[in-house]
Order: sequence, then C-alpha cells, then structure tokens
Amino acid sequence: MSHSIEDYEINHGFGSAPIEPQSPTAGKRTRKRWSFHESAKPNLVERPSVASSQGRRRLSDVDGVHKHINSDYISPAQLYSTESGRLFHAGKICIILAGLPGRGKTHLSVSLTRYLRWLGVKTHVFHLGDYRRKNFDADLDQKLFIENNNERLKLIDQCVNDILNFLENDLGQVAIYDAVNPFIKNRVELDAKFKKLNIQTLFIESSVTDDKIILKNMESAAKSSPDYVNWDYDKAYQDYSKRIEGLTPYYQPMGMEDDHNKLSYIKMINFGERIELHNSSYGYLINKVVFFLMNSRIKSGSVFFARCYNNSVDFSDDPPLDEEGKRYARNLSMTLMDYLKSQGKNYFDNSPEQSLHSNNSSSLSLKKQYSVDEKHLPAGADGVDENSFVVWTSVKSRTVETTRFFKDKNIKIRSRIQLSQKNPGIVGSMTEEEIAEKFPTEYEQFLKDPYHHRFSRAESYHDLAIKIEPLILEMERMSGDILIIADETVLKVFYGYLMASSCFDIPSLHFAQDEIIEMKFNAYSNMSKTIGIKDYS
Amino acid sequence: MPVYSISHVENVRVCVVMVGLPARGKSLIAQKIVRYLSWLSIKSKCFNVGSYRRKIAGVTGADADATFFSPNNEEGLKFRQEAVNQAIKDMMSWFLDENGVVGILDATNSTRDRRSKILKLCRENYIEPLFLESWCNDEDLIKQNILDVKTTSPDYINKDSEFALSDFMKRIKFYETNYQTLNQDIDSNLSFIKLVNVNTQIILNRIESYLESRIVYYVMNLHIKPRAIYLSRHGESLYNLTGKIGGDADLSERGWKYAKKLPELVLKSLGEENINTDLTVWTSTLNRTQQTASFLPYKNKLQWKALDELDAGECDGMTYEEIEKQFPEDFKARDDNKYEYRYRGGESYRDIVIRLEPIIMELERQENILIITHQAVLRCIYAYFMNVPQEESPWMSIPLHTLIKLEPRAYSTIVSRIKADIPAVSTYKEKGTSQLGEFDNITSKSRDLLKGSSDGK
Repeated sequence: MSHSIEDYEINHGFGSAPIEPQSPTAGKRTRKRWSFHESAKPNLVERPSVASSQGRRRLSDVDGVHKHINSDYISPAQLYSTESGRLFHAGKICIILAGLPGRGKTHLSVSLTRYLRWLGVKTHVFHLGDYRRKNFDADLDQKLFIENNNERLKLIDQCVNDILNFLENDLGQVAIYDAVNPFIKNRVELDAKFKKLNIQTLFIESSVTDDKIILKNMESAAKSSPDYVNWDYDKAYQDYSKRIEGLTPYYQPMGMEDDHNKLSYIKMINFGERIELHNSSYGYLINKVVFFLMNSRIKSGSVFFARCYNNSVDFSDDPPLDEEGKRYARNLSMTLMDYLKSQGKNYFDNSPEQSLHSNNSSSLSLKKQYSVDEKHLPAGADGVDENSFVVWTSVKSRTVETTRFFKDKNIKIRSRIQLSQKNPGIVGSMTEEEIAEKFPTEYEQFLKDPYHHRFSRAESYHDLAIKIEPLILEMERMSGDILIIADETVLKVFYGYLMASSCFDIPSLHFAQDEIIEMKFNAYSNMSKTIGIKDYS
Repeated sequence: MPVYSISHVENVRVCVVMVGLPARGKSLIAQKIVRYLSWLSIKSKCFNVGSYRRKIAGVTGADADATFFSPNNEEGLKFRQEAVNQAIKDMMSWFLDENGVVGILDATNSTRDRRSKILKLCRENYIEPLFLESWCNDEDLIKQNILDVKTTSPDYINKDSEFALSDFMKRIKFYETNYQTLNQDIDSNLSFIKLVNVNTQIILNRIESYLESRIVYYVMNLHIKPRAIYLSRHGESLYNLTGKIGGDADLSERGWKYAKKLPELVLKSLGEENINTDLTVWTSTLNRTQQTASFLPYKNKLQWKALDELDAGECDGMTYEEIEKQFPEDFKARDDNKYEYRYRGGESYRDIVIRLEPIIMELERQENILIITHQAVLRCIYAYFMNVPQEESPWMSIPLHTLIKLEPRAYSTIVSRIKADIPAVSTYKEKGTSQLGEFDNITSKSRDLLKGSSDGK
C-alpha cells in the first residue's frame, strides 16, 4: 500500500501515473476514454423503479448533491476517467468557508459541489450544521455557535475527521467544509493540519456589505434552513437574526492579521461583486473554482423545463409548427403565465414602452436614453435582476415559434444553438427494435453505456453535457426565472446538472409532453415540481 | 458553425482595455487572449496603440526615443493622442462592420482621465469595457521583461542594445510620473481585473457577463515568465511502418533510436548551462509516447489521457487505403471538412480541442516543458500557440523525429525545428488521396507552415 499509485500521485499530481515500460503488445488500442467503467452498471436491485418501468425513469425530486459518491462514479461532464478516480494534476484540496451566517455560505458550498461533481471532480460538502443538528437535537443554544467549548470542538473534530476520511480513504479530491470558522487561530490550525497531510487548503470568505443581500438570505434561511423545520416563520427569522447578532462581535475577518499572510484565500464580496484572490499559486482546478464563483449568484427564480412540440421530427428537418403544435404552444405559455402570476410575478403586465430591454426595441431608439456617465448592465447579460424572466429555446423553428406568446408580452427570447436536440446520427428515425436488428453490436454497446455511446454520426449525452457548459454557467449567473424549451435529450442533461445525477441516470429520465417541470433553488438542495399543462382551447 | 464556442456572443461585445506601465507583459497578455478566443472560434482582435504611433509618427519623421514620451513633449503628446484616437476608431468600426466580439485596446492607458474617455466611448457604442491591469513591483520580473522587449520590440529594431535598454527605462520613468493604478474604492464602478505581481494577488471587480468571466479565467492561468515549450511526436511506431492509423503500437527500431537521441537534442537546445534544469515532460497514456520519453533524465514525467491521439473509432488500426475502400463516403467527408469530421465511434479535431482545453490551461501555467504526443493533438496545440486557422491546422505537416521549440515573446512566438537526423516514414496524407507522403503538387497551403521556421541548433 505504501508504494501505490496513490503515493505517486501525492508527489507528482493527481491523474498522473508513473511511466513504466509496458509489455510489448503491439496491437489495437485497448484503453479507450471510458475504459474504467465499462462494466459498471447501476445497481438495479436497490433501484427497483428503473427495472420496472421499461427503462424509463420518472423524474425524482431528490437532489443528489449530498449523495455519497462511489469510486466508480462517472459524472456527466467528465472528460475522461482515471484509475484513481481523481482528475487533473490538482492534488487533494480542502476548501474551507468562512463568514457570518446569512452570507450565503451553504448556498455557495452546495452549488460549488454541484459544479465540481458535474466536471467529474470527486467532491463532497461537509456542513458543520449537520453535525450540530445530529448531536444536539433541536437545541439551538447560541453558545454552540460561538464559544470554543468542548462540545463545539467535538463537533468540529467529527466533521474534520469525516473530511480526512473522504480525502484519504474514499478517493475524494475536493472536500468543502461549510462552517462559520470565525477565529483566526482555528483557521491557521486547520491549515497546518491539512498541509501536514499533503492536502492543499483554500479559504473562501463570503462577506456582504449590502444589507439587502443579508436580509434576503435571512428570509430564505428562516423559510428553508433545516434548523427551522416546523418553526413559525417570524420566530425563525428572529432567532436567526439573533444568531447573527451574537456571532458578529466574535468574527475575525480574513486578511486582518499577519497569520493570514500564509493562507491562500479568496475574499468574495457581495456575492461576486468583487472577488479577491490572495497568495494564489493555484492550480487549474482552483482557477476553475474561481471561474465558478465569478458566475455564481443567489437565485430567486426557478428554471422551468418544457419539451418542444413533436420530438419525432427528423433531426435535419426544420418544419414550422402545425395547428396542433400551435395549440400546444398556447397552452404551454398560458399555463406558465398563470402559474407565475399566481406566484406574484408580474412580468406580463408591462406595456411595451416600459420594457426597455426587450427584443423588440432596437438599440438605436435606446440611444438617447442611454447615459454614458453611469454603469449599465451589459447588453447581453440576462437575468441580473431577480425580477426577470427569460426564455431559452433552440434555433429550430418549432421551438422558436413556441415562444411567440411570450414574445408578444415583451419577454426576452434567446435562441441557443446548444439547445438543439441530440443528433441521433444514422439511427435517427429508427425504433429501438430496428436499431437492434440493423446494428446488433453497436446496440449492445449502447445498452452498456447509453450515456457515452455514439452511434455513427451521432452525438452522445456526454457531448451535450460538454456543449451546454457555457449555458450552465450563464444559468448560474441569472437570478430570475428562466424557461427552457428544448428537446427532451437536452432537458435531461440540464436536469442532471441541477439534481446532481450521475451519468447512469440521465439517459433514462423521462419528461412528459404535457408537463412543465419547475426546478426550485434552495441553499441546501434543489427541488423539482411538476406543473400540468392545462387546456385553454 | 461555432457549436461549442461560448454562447451568447450574438449579444455581447467586449472591449478589453489594457492598463499598466511598459514592460508589464500587457502585449503578451493581449496577444494571448486573441489567440485563445480565436482558437475557441470567437472573433477577436488586438489594437496596439504603439504600432499606430509608429505609423503616424513615422510619417512625419519623429524619432522614437524616450523624450517622445515625456509629458512635456507637446508634439509627442499630440502624436500619441492621435494614435489612441485612430486605434479606437478602427476598433469601433471593426465592432460594427465586421461583427467583432472581443476587441483589445493594447496601450498603457495609465491615467484615470484617459480611461474614463474610453469608458464613455464604449458605453456610447454599447460595448462592455473590461479593464485589465497588470501591476508589478517585482524588479527582477520587470527587468526580464525589459530585456525581452528591447530585443523584440519594433521600436528598437536596428538600435544599439545599450541604448535600447537605457532609453526604455527612461520611457518607463516618464509613464510612472502620472500613472494611476486601478483602485477598488475609486474605480469600484468599473468592471476590472487587477493582476498583482503575476497573479500572486488578483482582484476581480464586477465581472458581469459570462464572456468576461471566461476571459478572466484564461488570464488567471497565464504567466509572463520567459520559457520554452518543446513539442515532439512519438518516435516512429510499428503502425507507422505499415501505414496503419491509431492503435497502441510500440516503437520501431528507428523510433527507439529517436527516443535515445531525444535527451541529447533537448539538452543541446536548452544549453549546457542548463544541464540541471528539471524539465517537465508530458506524454499521452499510449505506449509509443511513453517509450519515446523513456530515456529522458528528468524526474517530472507525467502521462495525460487528454493527450491521447485522435480516436479513429471503427477505423482504428486501418490504413487510409482500407478506409477509402471500406468507408468511401467517410473518407471523402473527412477530406472535405477535416476539422469537423468525426470518425465513426471516434473523434474529430474539434473534439480534441475541447478535451485539450483543460490541458491548455495547465500548460499556460507551466514553465519549461516538453510534450511528447501525437500528430493530431500536436496540430491542435501548435495551432493554439501559433494562431493557425481551424480549417488549416489539420493539414499541417508535422514530421516524425523532429523536435519543435516554441518561445513565446511579447510580440511573436519564435519557432525552431530541431531535426534528429534519423530517417522515418512520412505519415502525412494529402487531401484527395489515400497515399502517404508529401508530394510536390501541394493542395494544402498550411502543409509547410512549420518548414518556414528556422532550424534550431
């Protein structure tokens, strides 16, 4: 064990392997990009729903972001697999959060976990709050948050021990430690403890100078924090604000003391308004983290998924909507408009003159009102405002036409080439039986790995996942509501991102034609909800 | 069709406004951003105010010595102002007429006054200004940059090198007198990136669009220390001898010879004085590149799956003649659009670019490095460093048993070829034939791109 590949990686970087003379087998390439999981299949015994429903899976509403991940876990956008399960020459990293309550730490740690897992980095988030809740049932004694008493230290030890186990024994690559971490002394000690074990540390401090953000976070905590399940909202809100008040005098900001000069840390101010990196001799992976932070915003709105009409159209064809399709478009639009109105959103009340940024007004007519003395939102940045609604479609006529009713209401419509359906290649118009008959060996391979398999000329789900990465980050940037009208194949991959699905699950997800799926964002985990499309004809 | 490129480009136009004293690596960064974005199929262009100044001042005969840059030299000021105006004007018409997406204004832009003028102009034209400052007080680093600039800057062509050095120092002094760095309090309303001492500290302020975040992300991975990047294909393999593509074959006898000679070639190029340099060596996970690296004395050797050869899918292990016979349509489709063509069950050049992106980022962070990989992957890496257009890069000839050395400089990248003098087959396939070899009737203008470079010693 002591001279294993693991040791080699610790010294030379992860994903790397020593170069040794290999047996002289001149021949075909044996190791393909996905060779390490060829035989790994989901355990159907533990998931009876898969086996029973002809391979079609109803959308579950469980967010997988906190799920334990096995070493053979392959995530949707992973570029390749390695024997160790770790990617890139990035080493093991513990990301340690710091910041008062109400600064969006939980949201940050969970969404970062989601993104890193999606990229294929074995990541797990450890919330100190979970340990507190487990050990001190319903006891919200403020002392537990502040003082360095034995009980608190015991919780921290438990949590840190789990982090170390994850990194050392479960082949984890990034552990995210979500806690207030108020004391400089503790931070320095943590840093030393991890460094001794060849684990890099990176502190991320979330600080907020904009009271509006804090108030919003407090509301959302009182509503949805696991600490306040079954609490009266007002009482929860009061308790939470008392907690913040109690902690504030103790909190020591990062970068105030000399001790900190040794630590690598990122200061994030007002959730991305300003990001400062200090002592960064960071690797590729950490830069990717910063990349995510630049695009991460606190979400107020939801993402709505709706299938486009008529999925059976040949890939290269681009017919307009027929009568039935128009009816579908109207029903879909009306259902969502009614739903959003019932949620108190008033996107559809605007008269055309009021909505300056709509698609219809040309940039020329705007010019006069546009002052050069102040900062404006970038022309292409959608959804900056939490009270905004944007519709995404593919570039195909039938999806673009489906948005007509929204367009009439001056809603922003964005056509994205990445939202086009998965190219089915030569098997395009065939049924599964026909494929099985015509391409038996290919079909067999497809069954083994429906996520990565490409039929001739076709795209795989994996190709889609890589393709939509920019859209995913844009989605993370947008605070308001988004409706995505696209082919089912694309929706599956988006859904897979938001619910932290593994690539085994994605191909068998099923979106019904007569439903809109709402994805609700929550600091701790996302939730999905079904909205039936009503008939307005 | 830029299927995989950054989305949203139909809406966003960004002007990256460089900020910083001379010799802070601004031009290098600016050039790299253009190269990277073009590689990702995003239209971008750099507008270097210095070259406008040379053009304008050159006509009237004003000589470029440091006094030209004195804040008291009115004629100099006038020329410099005119150069900036001209550069900005050209950039604006490029945005409008050619649908440019990212324009880079490469100048010192050292005063707040100048910057606010540019800011207003951008806002008038619906262009997002993104300020990018390289700030540095590390004397060694600055000196290195000065030496680099004075040997390659167009301002000092045919000038005595002592003169160039002292003159350039003087010029920097002039700029220092009224330089205003970006300040997070005063400039809190701007979108800016401030790089302090080559990324030991980075401040990102109001990065408000995805495209901007992408540019920032790239810049974070850059460094401006001088270095050499060595590229080599594996030695001749047993598959190469029979004209088969793909596979995981061992080296041929001549291939092993190349592997044995490689350490000497590298050392000669590095210079005897660098005998103790620990060069980083990267290979793919395939036998032939690892065997090629096996005699190199360096400790830091790593294999990457992302450097594996283009996966020819069902055609793996076939010769081009066999492919032409068995899959005639595919064979033709590939010749017609080699960059986009994806082998049945395999990959296209574009697929390689996508999987190489993480590697490119890591590569930007490295210093001296030797990469031993495969023909298609090398074409993509070379295209990135040398800005070779997509439609041409798959047709470049990269011969076996040849070490390529790239030295990125502020104004250009120096390429040299070091031949091992060990014969090997040609694996080059011209468009429209299944025969291997470089024939005289060239159809691909990019084939001989590499041959134009100097023979390194």
